[in-house]
Amino acid sequence: MNMSFFDQFASPCLLGIPLILLSMLFPTLLLPSPNNRWITNRFSTLQLWFINLITKQLMIPLNKNGHKWALILTSLMTLLLLINLLGLLPYTFTPTTQLSMNMALAFPLWLATLIIGLRNQPSISLGHLLPEGTPTPLIPALILIETTSLLIRPLALGVRLTANLTAGHLLIQLISTASTVLLPIMPTISILTTTILLLLTILEVAVAMIQAYVFVLLLSLYLQENI
Amino acid sequence: VLHATRPVHTTQQRLAPLPPLPEKGGEVRHGLIPEEFFQFLYPKTGVTGPYMLGTGLLLYFLSKEIYVINHETVAAACILSVIIYGIKKFGADVAAFADKLNEEKVANALAVKNAAIKGLETAIEEEKKEQWRVEGRSFLFDAKRNNIAMLLETNYRERLMTVYNEVKKRLDYQVALQNLKRQKEQDHMIQWVEKNVVQSITPQQQKESITKCILDLKALSKSVQVAV
Repeated sequence: MNMSFFDQFASPCLLGIPLILLSMLFPTLLLPSPNNRWITNRFSTLQLWFINLITKQLMIPLNKNGHKWALILTSLMTLLLLINLLGLLPYTFTPTTQLSMNMALAFPLWLATLIIGLRNQPSISLGHLLPEGTPTPLIPALILIETTSLLIRPLALGVRLTANLTAGHLLIQLISTASTVLLPIMPTISILTTTILLLLTILEVAVAMIQAYVFVLLLSLYLQENI
Repeated sequence: VLHATRPVHTTQQRLAPLPPLPEKGGEVRHGLIPEEFFQFLYPKTGVTGPYMLGTGLLLYFLSKEIYVINHETVAAACILSVIIYGIKKFGADVAAFADKLNEEKVANALAVKNAAIKGLETAIEEEKKEQWRVEGRSFLFDAKRNNIAMLLETNYRERLMTVYNEVKKRLDYQVALQNLKRQKEQDHMIQWVEKNVVQSITPQQQKESITKCILDLKALSKSVQVAV
């Protein structure tokens, strides 16, 4: 039983065995295993259509070299999407609420794009630090600002995902607590709060999907600049 | 060793042809519980058996506080209602969409097959036509032969005409040459005769002819005056 509102974010542990890895593997339960048929069942067809859609959308702005990232970006998108959506079920632990996991995803991928850019085309990569058409007196300040913005990217990626999901889950908990507590006292207000909770749930579903997409989209953008 | 383990095999142990997918999925009631469960309980507890079991279990969990109603219950109710609403509203459309994707895949393959068949049929038609055309080959060759003969004839006649014209030009030249010579000789002779005649007219003869002319004129004038 939860004593505080933050116990839902505690990394699950059973008899001292950390279960975080198991909870990160749960999304695989939702994916159908590919079988060697040409015409598959509806689920497999839809999964294939969905993955084709995502990959096409992500790969259109990238050049030939960027297409090597298709697998990792698509699988990352699927993972984040399913983890986020599964986390909306009650009594579930959402791994993406842990800053450690999101930083572990964001930092290496961002660093990979940066190193690829600096290694293969250093002048173009550094050239992104100065937008076109800036007035000459502003150049030093702008380069400092752009460098800061570049270095803060992994932090932003990780914290964005963590904050969105944590905030959503906390809000759900708070509003559902309010509605439960108000039920014997003022049933009408309780019903109103439940309506708010319903709308919030719909919002959370949308946020779960959008946050996954935004994460991967930003990574692909950073890749576009550097590859 | 293979025979001993054969009863444990679950699949067909061959890759092709694949067994066909069943037409419909397993029957489920309320989207979660397979129909087989209801059939399993039917002999002992009848139609309402599983529902009684479910209600009893739920009430047991609630009364013994194995499941405590807390804020998560409300959150669970909300997310479940959203999920169920989504499935009920969009389920059929999504299924139709998936079926359409599969249909398109099959239709594309069928289209390729039909296009190939059609192409081959067209080729057969063309071949038959060619065979029919072969029968009329002799007429074609005759016509071509006549054509060529006519061309040759025309060419020959043209060249004959050219030769004739050339020869005529040469002969005309010779004729004109002779005429010119004769003309020149004639003119020269006439001139010579005239010159000699003019030279031979002596002054004596000139005076005699002039007085004769005057006498004639007078005579004439007299006759004219008489006439008037």
